[in-house]
Amino acid sequence: MSTPLLEVRDLAVHFGGVKAVDGISLSLQEGSIYGVLGPNGSGKSTLLGAITRLTPATRGDILFEGRSYANVSASRVHHLGVGRTFQTVRLLEDRTVRDNVLLGADTTRKSRAEIAERADYVMELVRIHTIQKVRPSELSYGMQRRVEFARAIVSDPKILLLDEPTAGMNTNERQEITAVMRLLQTEGLTQFIIEHDVAMMVDVCDYMYAMNFGKLIAEGKPDEVVRDELVQEAYLGKRAKKHA
Amino acid sequence: MQDVLNAAQLGSVYLLFALGMALAWGTIGILNFAHGATFMFSAFVAHLVSQAFALPLPLALLISVLTGALISVATQVFAFQPIIHRSRNITTAETRILIGGIGVASIPLAIAQRMTHSAPFGINTTYQDVVWDLGLFRLSSTSLIVLIAGIGLGLGIIFWLRRSKQGLALRAIGVDSETAAGMGINQFFLSIGTMAVAGGLAGLAGALLTIQLRAIAPETGDQLIIKAFAIIVLGGLGSMTGAFIGSFILATVETLVLKANLGSWVDAVSFGLIFIVLLLRPQGILGRKEVRRT
Amino acid sequence: MIDWYNSNSVLLQTTLTTLLLALSIQVSMRVGVFSFAGIGAFGIGGYLAAIGMTKWQLETIPAIAIGALAGAVVVFLLGLLIGKLTGLYLGMATIAFTLIVAVLAINGGELTGGASGIFGALGDITLEGVALVVLVVVALLTFTELGSLGRQLDTVREDPELANSLGISVTRYRRISFAVSGLIGGLAGGITTLTRSTITPEEVNFHLVVLALTVIVVGGSGSWVGALIGSIIFVWLPTWLDFVSEWEELIYGVLVTLAAIFLPKGILGVIRDLIHRWQSSRAKKAAGVIGPDQDPHSISIAETALPAGVGGRTPNRRPASTTKEES
Repeated sequence: MSTPLLEVRDLAVHFGGVKAVDGISLSLQEGSIYGVLGPNGSGKSTLLGAITRLTPATRGDILFEGRSYANVSASRVHHLGVGRTFQTVRLLEDRTVRDNVLLGADTTRKSRAEIAERADYVMELVRIHTIQKVRPSELSYGMQRRVEFARAIVSDPKILLLDEPTAGMNTNERQEITAVMRLLQTEGLTQFIIEHDVAMMVDVCDYMYAMNFGKLIAEGKPDEVVRDELVQEAYLGKRAKKHA
Repeated sequence: MQDVLNAAQLGSVYLLFALGMALAWGTIGILNFAHGATFMFSAFVAHLVSQAFALPLPLALLISVLTGALISVATQVFAFQPIIHRSRNITTAETRILIGGIGVASIPLAIAQRMTHSAPFGINTTYQDVVWDLGLFRLSSTSLIVLIAGIGLGLGIIFWLRRSKQGLALRAIGVDSETAAGMGINQFFLSIGTMAVAGGLAGLAGALLTIQLRAIAPETGDQLIIKAFAIIVLGGLGSMTGAFIGSFILATVETLVLKANLGSWVDAVSFGLIFIVLLLRPQGILGRKEVRRT
Repeated sequence: MIDWYNSNSVLLQTTLTTLLLALSIQVSMRVGVFSFAGIGAFGIGGYLAAIGMTKWQLETIPAIAIGALAGAVVVFLLGLLIGKLTGLYLGMATIAFTLIVAVLAINGGELTGGASGIFGALGDITLEGVALVVLVVVALLTFTELGSLGRQLDTVREDPELANSLGISVTRYRRISFAVSGLIGGLAGGITTLTRSTITPEEVNFHLVVLALTVIVVGGSGSWVGALIGSIIFVWLPTWLDFVSEWEELIYGVLVTLAAIFLPKGILGVIRDLIHRWQSSRAKKAAGVIGPDQDPHSISIAETALPAGVGGRTPNRRPASTTKEES
């Protein structure tokens, strides 16, 4: 195999005595959709925070295209080509949809015309191009998430990290978001999703990791991981263990 | 020896003032910048009443305590709670509460300044100060009252927070308000009660200091706010014991500075203290560990 | 017009210096730094300008320039020291910084004139000169409020974590804001002092913090325009309404409180919201009638998914659009 796009080696984040992430290693190849499945509090979000350097890591290394960026500042990670979304909607309330999308490319070195063209393209891609002048508060939740997607990909990142992308969504909105993810995959975008929604993950991921108590408990093809005993236990609790 | 007594007495005044502020900030998260104006205006109301007839000391104190509680509760209900309801998150609420507090503080200050023409005012009481010469030092009865009130109430509140049910609820809010809400704690009434106690303490401090100094200027409260902030930061937010210790440390250092004939530098002590503590030990002497840096 | 200008030149100049003072705090607040250090810089700039004129025999402009630069340097260093503190702690620490400037002035001996301050430092200052300085400052600030930079700074204020994740260096912008705040505060101090010919430690006190805060909280902290609105209200309202000049402090206290509760973005925020609402209602009318029960903006992605084979990462390739319409 070629050099992984993103590689995480023995990453750990400890808060005092709490080992939120405790020795995680991942290897993500270009063009696939990866997922980390785990119940609430398993350390998924902290893992994402550490990869984007918003949360300082206790130990371990993170490599992008083979080069370590474990000591780079949080704001530099984006420049490498790492985009992300957050668990909750985080849009600028007083700015229009277009401004919110453009924000994603404000620190790239491209010309204004290039950025505008790319913004038009991604807004059409996620079908928000007709509402560019609207403010986020006037939109439904699902539409706000789409604006965030557009913001995350307008800078043309090499990998997109998604923090519970379908949290709080209805079935319709879920389907639309997964449609966007597939669309982006056809564009060649590598994606890394953390979620606790099993059905959605099995549906969309090419390769899946399962996490609990800060450690990886399984990895492989999504349907294999879901059948894994430890994963079943983490999801269904002790009762499953007794029956098993 | 006289210096020790002076420091202890100054510390008691600081403590009475800072206790209310520390209580509200450390538990329900309200840094009430109008605490100084509440302190001043409570004494001012007693001053106004005492112009009709000389007040017995307990009545003067009672008037101030009630006025302080009233102003504080009104500030909470009409300014801080609406701000909290309208804020997106805690950080914006915090700064808006600080700004709102500065606004509220201007109102009683403007009224008092206009009515007194910015001259110091006193409270006309029937109480007579007695001075005892105890050889090593001289002690006035007012000083004794201030000392007893400061230390007594300080210890009282420390133990009340530790022992009583309401105290436990308040400390729970201070640590984690979401969990506290889950425990079924009625935050509305608890916050009103806390602000009433805080305001009452401000009122008591105002009346006692006015009687002790015979007169205070309307602006006195503004200076005390910064000192109280220094005390709370030094002692550690959320810790009443910390506020207790912090009050006496600040008073001791200030007394030493005065003693060294550096009177014009006295105010720099509290300001400098804020810097030193926030830089070197942001959680204060006894504060719970809290992330105060981004 | 010229008559009005001549008879009100003092008020006009006060409006401009008040604007500068308020801007020294507004530039911090715009990037989410709750700092009052600009007021301390006002003291530094004022004192250095006065010392420059009376003790070092400087001309007006160099005296003001030295004060402004010193303000910028000191506040920048302060920012390096305490810039990591959050919200309230930063606010209180910078208030303490401002009051320390006053204590230093009292104890500065002959250099600062102690408690009585410095007299006779009358500079050669004209209304036109002040207007020019303000114009330059405002022009530069406008540049930071528009386009890409404006968006980035808004994000630094509204959501620093998001800003970092989008590649915007929060730390860098915050540090710069400290220096700019000090520069503008120092300018305000120098100009104000050399106009009045005197500065005392009394002036650099908490009252000045309240004044600057009043102006931007009432006017709106989102843009220099808000500070201008606030300055105009603050300086001119007492001349229009007699009862205002009588109860000035009280009325400003009430205004600040009301603004903190109801108008966190100040008068400017209300104006901007109204403009946006007017624009979008016009746009909606132009776009035609929309059914009341439908989310007017929702377009299903699933229905309009791309035909197979559309790919590539070139931004020039556009997806087939079935619902394209002009908005």
